[in-house]
Amino acid sequence: MSGDTVSGGLFERLNSSGLSLRYVIGLLGLVFLAVLPLLSELELGIGVPGLFVLVVDNLLLLKIMAALYFGMFAMSWDAVSGYTGQISFGHGVFFAVGGYTSALLNIEFGIDPLLSIPVGVLLSAIAGIVIGVPALRLRGPYLSLVTLVAPLILLQIFIWRSDVFGGERGLIGQDNFLGFSGADATMPYYVALALFVFIFAVLFVVTRSDAGKVFTAIREDEDAVAAAGLNPAKFKIFAFVLSAAVGGLAGAMFVHSPVGGPRPSELMSVMINVEVIIAAILGGMGTIVGAAVGGIFLSLLQDALSNIGDTVAVPIPLTDLSLVFSLPVPVHQIDFLLFAVITLVLLLALPGGIVRAGVRWGRRVLRRRSDRDETVATDGGIDAPERRAYRTFADELRGEDDEH
Amino acid sequence: MSALAEVVVGATTISALYALVAIGFTLIFGVGGVLNLAHGASIAIGAYTAYYVTRVYGLDIWLGILAALAVASLFGAVLYLGLVKRIQDEPIMVMITTLVTAVAIEQVFLVVFGTQPKTIPSLLAGNVGVAGVNVQLNMVVVFVLSWLVIGGLFAFVNYTKPGKALLATSMTHKGAALVGIEADRINLVTWVLAGGIAGVAGVFLGSFQTAYPTMGQTPLVLSFTIVVLGGIGSIKGSVLGAYLIGFLEVATVEFIDASLTGLTPLIVLVLVLLAKPEGLFGRELVEA
Repeated sequence: MSGDTVSGGLFERLNSSGLSLRYVIGLLGLVFLAVLPLLSELELGIGVPGLFVLVVDNLLLLKIMAALYFGMFAMSWDAVSGYTGQISFGHGVFFAVGGYTSALLNIEFGIDPLLSIPVGVLLSAIAGIVIGVPALRLRGPYLSLVTLVAPLILLQIFIWRSDVFGGERGLIGQDNFLGFSGADATMPYYVALALFVFIFAVLFVVTRSDAGKVFTAIREDEDAVAAAGLNPAKFKIFAFVLSAAVGGLAGAMFVHSPVGGPRPSELMSVMINVEVIIAAILGGMGTIVGAAVGGIFLSLLQDALSNIGDTVAVPIPLTDLSLVFSLPVPVHQIDFLLFAVITLVLLLALPGGIVRAGVRWGRRVLRRRSDRDETVATDGGIDAPERRAYRTFADELRGEDDEH
Repeated sequence: MSALAEVVVGATTISALYALVAIGFTLIFGVGGVLNLAHGASIAIGAYTAYYVTRVYGLDIWLGILAALAVASLFGAVLYLGLVKRIQDEPIMVMITTLVTAVAIEQVFLVVFGTQPKTIPSLLAGNVGVAGVNVQLNMVVVFVLSWLVIGGLFAFVNYTKPGKALLATSMTHKGAALVGIEADRINLVTWVLAGGIAGVAGVFLGSFQTAYPTMGQTPLVLSFTIVVLGGIGSIKGSVLGAYLIGFLEVATVEFIDASLTGLTPLIVLVLVLLAKPEGLFGRELVEA
């Protein structure tokens, strides 16, 4: 923290630990997720009585668990696409390779998930190399096209060899990880949360390391990276392999959790590939935190929309020239349409993502509050207006990256 | 011999339609430097408009084509002005928002019209013999009309002033700006043209398949392949690419296995991207 900002504002008084406020909020969020299962044992509802009450039960834990896995998928996408700018439209390939490999080994050969999952991760990493190598030659939209086509080809193969992969319906009969079933969601929930924290920590550290800086530099100007004597190819392959392995790990664990299964619809449909991107961009591309938040948010939003029992009027075209006639349609029938429209609005309204917008908004609030005492600097003198203007400007500049 | 004739005649006619499907996509990619993933949605919009005009209002299919042209052009304009214009400097955002738009439109069709495929009347009923092969007259009309549209577009781009401005913008944004060409207006023209052409292609496609909510997905993938194969922004390249893909696909179905239809263009796409990313008639992607 620069000495400039230490001027006795609300911001500083709030956190004596020296951590940025958003890290404090992030940690609080994790603590909340960690204690959530305990609330279910107390049979408590959280929320505003009369407005909304969230009852913590087994079902909710399972839903949040699914959301955590989706957050992991989104983070793995962000690690390669958000940072190096190599936009992958087919990340589902990695989830599918990890998940299917582990499930097949488990179902066909009876290998315990503890052993089959690492094999799945290994194969995903190899898939990362296969997709990463074209990334060395192709740029921009061309790379996106190749990655867009990869899951389509894999899906065709899955359907062609339905006898092995179970076709559209997928495979059934895989074991649960360590035998935790969905009857009591607490343990599988903690497994998912632990994996979430682990993946988050790994990706957070890597993207904030020197390698992460090179990733961002590749996104901004690949030629400049090469000119600086670094080999962009090496870093791109590393990013792809890391992301693929993480995605494969999440996919394999997801398959052996009570909520997931090795099915094309859950691991590699066209929509999964798109949703992962939407999640990362909505949350804030190139931040890892944003992808995690976006993934959880999107998964829960979709679930909430599909559970609305109300009906809405949908115009139905008629045969005569009266043009339209409204017909009531249950909301859960148009949940995906609503989802797409909400996404579109959010994408346009918050181009940098929810997390960045939140941080910017939070800073603005804190600045306004602390402005009152900020005019008196720590040394007792008056904070010069020029200095304040400079600080505001520097804050605006800093708002765009995530290093501070 | 007869199998070969069948492949040649079938591929010749269907490829003209493929070219029509891909040409709007290549136009936007060439001029604006962005991929319009809602191209398939324009195709579906055209097909459903024609269904609506012909089956619901009971009007003539030719009016249906005109309506499809108008509605899909309008969709192109709305998409550009309302969405793409403000994010056109970020190709990735354009890809994602157009993709989400396409998903939303698919869902609208699903909710309003249901999953049931809708038939669109043929442009002309009956059959005709071509080189000893029995061909639907509808196919012949589509072939002729497709070539008329492609020829018209070619003439527009090469011989009219707005067309030349469009070509100039696709070659160099800065140069075009220097001689007083407004990029935003040219982009709007491109999106309207591309939307309209896709709408017409949608009617043609629907006239010998049917109209269904996800009908735009396959043409979209086809468009990628053709555009990449032919090279960015080259109309000539797109037509040639369409013919290569068309022949390959029809031959695959005839001589190898019908279940591989969807796979052929995908594999060709990947191979071409790896071997010659700039395509047959391509040039380096224009830096915006």
